[in-house]
Amino acid sequence: MILADVFELWNNIWPAGAIMIGLGTAFALVLLIASEKLKVVVDPKIEQIHEALPKIDCGTCGYAGCGQYAKAIFDNPELIGKCSPGGAAASAKIAEILNLQISDSGPKKRPIVHCRAHKDDKTIYAQYEGIKSCTAANALANVQACAFGCLGYGDCVAACKFDALHIVDGLATVDYNKCTGCTACSKACPRNLIEMVPFSQENMMTVACRNKENGKTTRAVCRVGCIGCGICAKQSDLFKVEDNLARLDYAKYVPCEKTEAAMNKCPVKVIIYRGKSAPQPAMPTEKPVPVSK
Amino acid sequence: MSVTSKKSLTFPGGIHPPEKKSLTINSKIHTGFMPKEVAVLLSQHIGAVCEPLIRKGSLVQAGQKIGDCDAYVSAPIHSPVTGKVKEIALRSHAVIGRIPAVIIETLPAHPVKKGCVQFDEEFDINKYSVEKICEAVREAGIVGMGGAGFPTRVKIEPNPRLPKTTMIVNGCECEPYITCDYQIMLEWTKQILIGVKLAKKASGCSKAFIGIEDNKPQAIEMMETVLNSLGTDEIEIIPVKTKYPQGGERQLIRSILKKNVPTGGIPPMIGVLVLNVATCAAIAEAVVADVPLTHRVVTVTGEAIAEPGNYYVPIGTSIETLLEVCGGVTQKSARVIMGGPMMGIAIADLTTPTTKTTGAVTVITKEQMGMAKFERRETACIHCGRCLAVCPENLNPTRIAHAVKNNLMDVAKSYYITACIECGCCSYVCPAHIEITGYIKTGKIFLARQKKKIP
Repeated sequence: MILADVFELWNNIWPAGAIMIGLGTAFALVLLIASEKLKVVVDPKIEQIHEALPKIDCGTCGYAGCGQYAKAIFDNPELIGKCSPGGAAASAKIAEILNLQISDSGPKKRPIVHCRAHKDDKTIYAQYEGIKSCTAANALANVQACAFGCLGYGDCVAACKFDALHIVDGLATVDYNKCTGCTACSKACPRNLIEMVPFSQENMMTVACRNKENGKTTRAVCRVGCIGCGICAKQSDLFKVEDNLARLDYAKYVPCEKTEAAMNKCPVKVIIYRGKSAPQPAMPTEKPVPVSK
Repeated sequence: MSVTSKKSLTFPGGIHPPEKKSLTINSKIHTGFMPKEVAVLLSQHIGAVCEPLIRKGSLVQAGQKIGDCDAYVSAPIHSPVTGKVKEIALRSHAVIGRIPAVIIETLPAHPVKKGCVQFDEEFDINKYSVEKICEAVREAGIVGMGGAGFPTRVKIEPNPRLPKTTMIVNGCECEPYITCDYQIMLEWTKQILIGVKLAKKASGCSKAFIGIEDNKPQAIEMMETVLNSLGTDEIEIIPVKTKYPQGGERQLIRSILKKNVPTGGIPPMIGVLVLNVATCAAIAEAVVADVPLTHRVVTVTGEAIAEPGNYYVPIGTSIETLLEVCGGVTQKSARVIMGGPMMGIAIADLTTPTTKTTGAVTVITKEQMGMAKFERRETACIHCGRCLAVCPENLNPTRIAHAVKNNLMDVAKSYYITACIECGCCSYVCPAHIEITGYIKTGKIFLARQKKKIP
């Protein structure tokens, strides 16, 4: 009896199954034919270029993601070299795929924060109680005494997609092990403190200050601010003092005795190393000048 | 024509915060004050920054031009005192940050300018041609003294592309605490009205309205009396409703003319010229007496000031000196604001000098700050819509603020973030204590940065 029931059930089911299989086969055939007839020819090179890129979709190149950028490079090879995280290595790979010769674009660029003042190093006239954002704070002209230094509200931290930037004791600090050089932080800083620098060495020497005030005023507001004394420029030609501020020519920088001497003789110790294994910077020996306010 | 016979005109939206003008309302303008040192900023206006014309160590006379620029949109800068140039160094500006300033040490024995120049003789408008007025206004370095600081010559000069037909004089002073314009209207009425006539002639306007808030009946009466004695000449005094921001130029035009200035546009697009009363007095001084703009009336006020009042000070006096003159601040002082409490900017550096646009210095106490409800108490938006009701520009402030907070600048733009006049009404009424205007201001900076493409 049970067997009869099973047969009856089977008789009822199989036509439906057959129709489904038939339909499936028919549509599969349609799709197969369509995929052959209407095929979009994608150059395998685009895929290869995409593989050569870091695939982190950071948007530094100005395109929505690495895939878009790969397509753009394929259409116009002049766009090679816009990928900062990939750097020279990625550019060379892409050039190889496209059979092109590219000039050496130099070492990878990494951000350097041009300020080294932690909370205790700088003078603050008044307590800021507004929106916790550097852009908002910067709209208030004298939110901290130094009009050039790091505000420490972390617009750059918010912009960093790789967790490579942190506010450490009131100062934006780059974690060079995590940094991909995507330039997002340098665009986010309202005071333009973060500059993309070609890292020819693992640790780059830098003048970590942007204060253009005269020495006396700088001293009054910050104990590690550049006072434009020019001692470094006397030691090494790579340093230049303009507008009361020393600047280092990063493109020509190679570690040597002269630059070391400039660093050691700097009275406010504003010349420091930044990089993956940068040593702890020295502090100036003098006490900060108390400012009565 | 009495005050009550006219119904006060107004605009949609706006708020009425406590006026607090009683602190300084009866304070006559104190003149004759001279600081030991002034720091005259080289950019006190919208437009190109001036180049210094003098060097360190040179002697300058009061009224001597010390900074100028070839650009059309700019205004020269004059020394308010006779003295020696100590140095040209960076000084704080409340809005643009550290900019170069000429620091002048006052020589002890020299005449002090005592208030606005008095005109005794009969005023004859026909003596002054349009070109002469424009040139005198430019040479005197006059800028909009209501706060924006746009060079007045550019505003009043006839422009064939944007012909002006109506002139509005802004005597509203809607911001709480401030009374400097009110005092000017009472004491220097004649100068203001002569300035109005001159500006009206120069700009080619056929009609002029003077808008004064109806909480200043004495000023309205005084202006009417003097106007009648000088000859009305198509000038009319219009009492407007006491409401903030009545003194915003777009709102004043809406109130008096019932016309809307296009979004993102300026008043000349609908043929209107708006000038502040203090600017008009300065125009009269410059054209009739050939005196440059070197002094202005500043209201130093607030609960934390020992002797609040209106002071006629040389431009470039530091806030510190100004506070000393007013007997210093009391122990309770919590915040120094350049301008009024609604639109002013809190300053931390007391060496900040006053500029041509500084109308007031307000020092408020902690209790007042608590009433102004800011920060640390921000809660979630409850969608009550009060900000929409008070926005004088009919915007949706919370939407814009939240878009900026979440970094959605496209959304903020689609809600017309650029049309915001930053009056602060939305922040004032917000029951969730969201600093809406602050976010909108920040958003505008973000937009400007995006446009500039800073590397």
